Amino acid sequence: MEGNAPEGTGAVHVPFGYVVASEKWRGSQLAQEIQGKIKLVFEDGVAPVDFYLSNRAGILYITEADLVAGNSYRKRLVRVRNSSNLKGIVIVEKTPMSEQYFPAIQKFTVLDLGMVLLPVASQLEASCLIVQLVQEQAKEPSKNPFLRKKRTLLSEPYLLRTVQQIPGVGKVKASLLLQKFPTLQQLGNASIPELEPVVGQAVAQQIHAFFTQAR
Amino acid sequence: SSTYCSSSRPSLTGTYTSLGLQQEREKTYILVDSREISSGLEVISSLRAVQGLQVEVCPLNGCDYIVSNRMVVERKSQSEMLNSISKNKLIEQIQHLQSMFERICVIVEKDREKTGDTSRIFRRTKTYDSLLTSLTGAGIRILFSSCQEETAELLKELSLLEQRKHVGIHVPTAVKSSQCEALQFYLSIPNISYITALNMCHQFSSVRKMVNSSPQEISMCAQVTHQKAEEIYTYIHYVFDTQMLPSDMKQETKI
Repeated sequence: MEGNAPEGTGAVHVPFGYVVASEKWRGSQLAQEIQGKIKLVFEDGVAPVDFYLSNRAGILYITEADLVAGNSYRKRLVRVRNSSNLKGIVIVEKTPMSEQYFPAIQKFTVLDLGMVLLPVASQLEASCLIVQLVQEQAKEPSKNPFLRKKRTLLSEPYLLRTVQQIPGVGKVKASLLLQKFPTLQQLGNASIPELEPVVGQAVAQQIHAFFTQAR
Repeated sequence: SSTYCSSSRPSLTGTYTSLGLQQEREKTYILVDSREISSGLEVISSLRAVQGLQVEVCPLNGCDYIVSNRMVVERKSQSEMLNSISKNKLIEQIQHLQSMFERICVIVEKDREKTGDTSRIFRRTKTYDSLLTSLTGAGIRILFSSCQEETAELLKELSLLEQRKHVGIHVPTAVKSSQCEALQFYLSIPNISYITALNMCHQFSSVRKMVNSSPQEISMCAQVTHQKAEEIYTYIHYVFDTQMLPSDMKQETKI
């Protein structure tokens, strides 16, 4: 039967702040725990996805029993992976019973399919995690510390440090050199006669050799 | 897995196709930070025991493992992830890695049980869940490991995967003393990783050649994205202005 089901992935409409759950989760502990915190709508025929967080993000829930039973969960994962408009997050029950099968599912999900995999010990843990995922989706991207824009750094202190890596050049000479040759490119192309008035003959030769020496 | 093949990245693969697959495999390098010798000794020895992998311990300055030209792996104990006190430190660390690397993977490793320790109970915290979801939301990969040996296995898988995507590390990690000076010079460029500096060392015939390169050439030789190459190019052409130095540094350098 399931094989004949239409490719429904991605066609589900999820109102903002809601989670759409597959009908089969009605009455489960997981659904009840989520319902206490977020509005849950049950829908038929959303398989292979178990929970839709948005139109584009869905959760595939692999139970302890699925994991112990064999590799049949893989077909579901691949179906979601192949739908271009849906990001699948796999939540798997990692218990003392199913632990030994975990490395295999992790390798398949994360390394082979490139999907996200998050282990939980129970449906209770899963409910907290799903709520957290919904909150993560709802908030502005700038609130995520890993998506924050980088500050542009002032280059001067770095340039001074870079020039000090040239043999024979310390703090004082680095500053003098950068005042005369204000970019690394200009410094790199300076001739010995041009360098000499700034740092003296010996160091001028050292700097020139540093830039031109074949490595 | 085709979605992970970045199209904007130039490839040096042509250079390596002449090598047989077996030979190419043997040339798979993993760079390990020297600090890992104290905290992850079994990871390192397991990596070495895995045939065909070249493990090089280098001063990576806070990056635990570099598995390809673009990917860094951070090894974190589960207890660090659970604890809200270490959260900010961890966030800063990852942000630092983001400034240097295109791809980041975090391996969450189960803490070792000490003998006599009545098995520590893993109590999931909100901090843990929020870290996982933030990392996931930013496209940072997370892998879970039960011990150091498994971590080594995962590192091997990651580096082989990157190798298949033609971003594997191929330059010798050993540097001659004449290259050492150039390496330090390249490493001082802001937001540059150890492997990028190493690639520059081996791919540019001289430092002068490097400072005269176009963004395209930098991208090719240093094996970085075009965006990163532009960033490096801008730095090389940045016009130094003493007035812009912080006041304490200005005084130090004034004569």
